[in-house]
Amino acid sequence: MATIMIVTMIGLLLLGFPMMIPLTVAAIIGFYMTFNGFGQMGTMIQQMMGGIRPTALIAVPMFILAADIMTRGQSAQRLINMVMAFIGHIKGGLAVSTAASCTLFGAVSGSTQATVVAIGSPLRPRMLKAGYKDPFSLALIINASDIAFLIPPSIGMIIYGVISGTSIRELFIAGIGPGILILFLFSLYCIAYAYINKVPTEPKATWGERGQSIVQALWPLGFPVLIVGGIYGGIFSPTEAAAACVLYALILEFGVFRSLNTRDIYKIAKSTGLITAVVFILVAVGTGFSWIISFARIPQTMLEAIGIMDMGPNGVLITIAIAFFIACMFVDPIVVILVLTPIFAPAIQASGLDPVLVGVMITLQVAIGSATPPFGCDIFTAIAVFKRPYWEVIKGTPPFVFLLLLSAGLLVVFPQIALFLPELAFR
Amino acid sequence: QDVWRYAHEEFEDDVQDVFAYKFKEYVEDNSDHTVQVFRFGELGESDDIMEQTQAGILQFVNQSPGFTGSLIPEAQIFFIPYLLPTDEETVIDFFNNSVAINEMFPEMYSEQGLELLQMYPEGEMVITTDEVVRSPEDMRGKNIRTMTNPLLSETYRAFGASPTPLPWGEVYGGLQTGIIDGQENPIFWIESGGLYEVSPNLLFTGHGWFTTALMANQDFYDGLSSDDQQLVQDATEFAYDYIIDHISGLADDMLEAILERSDDVTVTRLDEDEIQAFRERAPQVEERFLEMTGDRGAELLEQFKADLEAVSN
Amino acid sequence: MSDSPTQEHRSSLPGILGHIDNFLAKAESLILALGVLLMALNTVANVVSRFTLGESLHFSEEVNRILIVMITFAGIGYAARHGRHIRMSAIYDALPYSARRVLMIIIAAITGTIMFLLCYWSIGYVHGNLRTGRVLPTLGYPIWFIYIWVPIGLAVTGIQYWMTAIKNITTRDGEIYLSTAVTDGYDEEEEMLAELQDELAEKQDKPGTRSQQEKD
Ligand code: NA
Ligand code: NA
Repeated sequence: MATIMIVTMIGLLLLGFPMMIPLTVAAIIGFYMTFNGFGQMGTMIQQMMGGIRPTALIAVPMFILAADIMTRGQSAQRLINMVMAFIGHIKGGLAVSTAASCTLFGAVSGSTQATVVAIGSPLRPRMLKAGYKDPFSLALIINASDIAFLIPPSIGMIIYGVISGTSIRELFIAGIGPGILILFLFSLYCIAYAYINKVPTEPKATWGERGQSIVQALWPLGFPVLIVGGIYGGIFSPTEAAAACVLYALILEFGVFRSLNTRDIYKIAKSTGLITAVVFILVAVGTGFSWIISFARIPQTMLEAIGIMDMGPNGVLITIAIAFFIACMFVDPIVVILVLTPIFAPAIQASGLDPVLVGVMITLQVAIGSATPPFGCDIFTAIAVFKRPYWEVIKGTPPFVFLLLLSAGLLVVFPQIALFLPELAFR
Repeated sequence: QDVWRYAHEEFEDDVQDVFAYKFKEYVEDNSDHTVQVFRFGELGESDDIMEQTQAGILQFVNQSPGFTGSLIPEAQIFFIPYLLPTDEETVIDFFNNSVAINEMFPEMYSEQGLELLQMYPEGEMVITTDEVVRSPEDMRGKNIRTMTNPLLSETYRAFGASPTPLPWGEVYGGLQTGIIDGQENPIFWIESGGLYEVSPNLLFTGHGWFTTALMANQDFYDGLSSDDQQLVQDATEFAYDYIIDHISGLADDMLEAILERSDDVTVTRLDEDEIQAFRERAPQVEERFLEMTGDRGAELLEQFKADLEAVSN
Repeated sequence: MSDSPTQEHRSSLPGILGHIDNFLAKAESLILALGVLLMALNTVANVVSRFTLGESLHFSEEVNRILIVMITFAGIGYAARHGRHIRMSAIYDALPYSARRVLMIIIAAITGTIMFLLCYWSIGYVHGNLRTGRVLPTLGYPIWFIYIWVPIGLAVTGIQYWMTAIKNITTRDGEIYLSTAVTDGYDEEEEMLAELQDELAEKQDKPGTRSQQEKD
């Protein structure tokens, strides 16, 4: 059954069907074979509804809306101009700043999709203008956004922590090392890319110009204050911070800068709704797909077949990495953690692996998986928002995925990358 | 040789999971049937697995009555504070002998196509807060996270706090950043969710027990041979006896584990006078319950109180 | 990130069908825009209420749940109308014109059919919810009511895809239609990006003033 589902899915995908169809047809086949007919298709619909139910998903349209308002108005430009006044003359500076912004924003907002939009919308045009190629820019934005999974607060780690009974506090701290390592590797690649492709730099700004750019950016600097201060200050949940950003963006562009009118707002909201719908319908059918996989106990059967219980600690850790990586290529990360973690629990226990290390590895794979073709929420979001063809969005990803896999490899060989901080803090 | 599918709302080694695996153990040891257990999230959330059981895809489902509220409003009676006894022994007595639980509820579930097999307590509800709280006055202005349920909100309003609904995934982060000042859960959830790390002041108010229920799809159950029906009943009893034992030591073990891991944790057990200050505020929640459930709710509430009377003496 | 290629949707259908189609297009965009704005308003109102009144809006979460279903299922019809559903077109793009045309007819017809199937099953699901009488805990609304958008959205999407298939069968103008209104190819987007960059360059020169291009 699993084979027929996967083959059908990939076939339809390659033929150029709308992405929701391969997932839906594969799920329908699964339901038909499991229940000998179409008698239980109501559950497919139920799970589609379940997929778009989580309240935390609301942050996605909210950040899309705020980012669109900022980008079409002036807030985003002013913020970027300020950053450029300081780093514009450094080779690769813009790309490194983009990576760092994605990491920070993602860390705080907790949503990688929101990060793709909020940082990507204003910075992608700027990167293109500065001479970076589009596939590189898109791949950088998509992959750097995923570092957010590793930096606290991370919803993936919370869920893993609860399921596996691992200290969430230790997990949070353990994620920081690998997160910084990946950001560092990405930055090196950005600088190398800028040198190899001879991306031009801007003339160095004077301190006067820099001061001027800060003054221009004073109002828009309220956004980072609102998000970082609001969330860590205990005023907002991440979702609420997103909505607060919408309100603030409206006040700025509508009231202070007077750059948008009511008609613009209507159009922006409509466009946000459209992007939300094309991404969420994929989340919905993906949840239906994963339900039937889970119901038919396909992961358990596969793990038994490969003899997971007889592998050593490194074998188990690598198997976990591969399983989560593959699963996240097709299914929403949170669902993957919920379904797979308990299945691996006995093997983790038997092998004596540190559950904190496993948690970091799982979070890392989940991050990689959501930026990896064929199915990845961040890829869908980038396609929907930037309106680029699928191929162009994923063309630049291989070097980034390689660096991420390299980090995963390093984590197997040097678990200290993750465990150093928690050991220092708690043990 | 049949496969029976059984879903519950918790994670590995949590109370519902232990119950499920004991049920499975008995069925598999005493028959040719196999039981597949699905944990939280594997087949969806609480409402999803309930619907799947009603649709007959799953044969058994464990759902807490509080979540059953959208289907059987009267089931929310367990959210009324101080309706159940405060000490463990009397609670177990109550579950064994209550007419409301053993006779009235099965009828209500049966109207929804469900065979109620067993209601059982999981553990006392414990409140955790950012500061030590001893009285409704101390509760004033505190944002306490509750599940989205009108009666739970009413309870915390009555206790003087501001009930704040927040999805489960945001609770840990919310406690850490301070958007909420506290939450309530049984102690084993506070332990496994690490909530004590970010909300270290534990308060035992004795206001309620987290209660849950195992049920079967009724058509499935009615279609079983009388031997198999007996098997299901015996397996349920086997699991129930085990779980009653299990929870009696559990709270203490979990508390010990928490205290061992964190120096910030404080434990406050209210004395009878302090409890009285909270208990006096319960009637407002009862009123809300009656508003929501009408005559049938009133009848159930009355029976609950009579049952309580019976075990307390 | 800009609007759909066709700013105002003009139906290509004849007579009364065309009017219905135009009306649906307007209704979809209205639902999308208002849905998103209401979601923002609802979420912000919850924060404001928590701070000023010390009490969260308990219906807030449920309202957002209603809105997200509405946006998603109104949006998939709108996306089908404008050819905005995500697809992996690398192999398709490499094919010659006639093969692409046939493939597009097959894709649109199958997609439309699958949407109708999902629509049919979702009616069954909504009906099941109607029968059990499940309600939203706080608002007390019956749950089937929030899912009513699901079959409607799926049906509209199915119709859009079937119309696309028919359009590709009946039209022989050297174009391939991704939807009834949008032809294959990403040229328009390329142009828009160029436009965007010009706009950016201009804004940069005079950050304080409102750019001339962006009038009403
Ligand atoms: Na994060
Ligand atoms: Na992926």
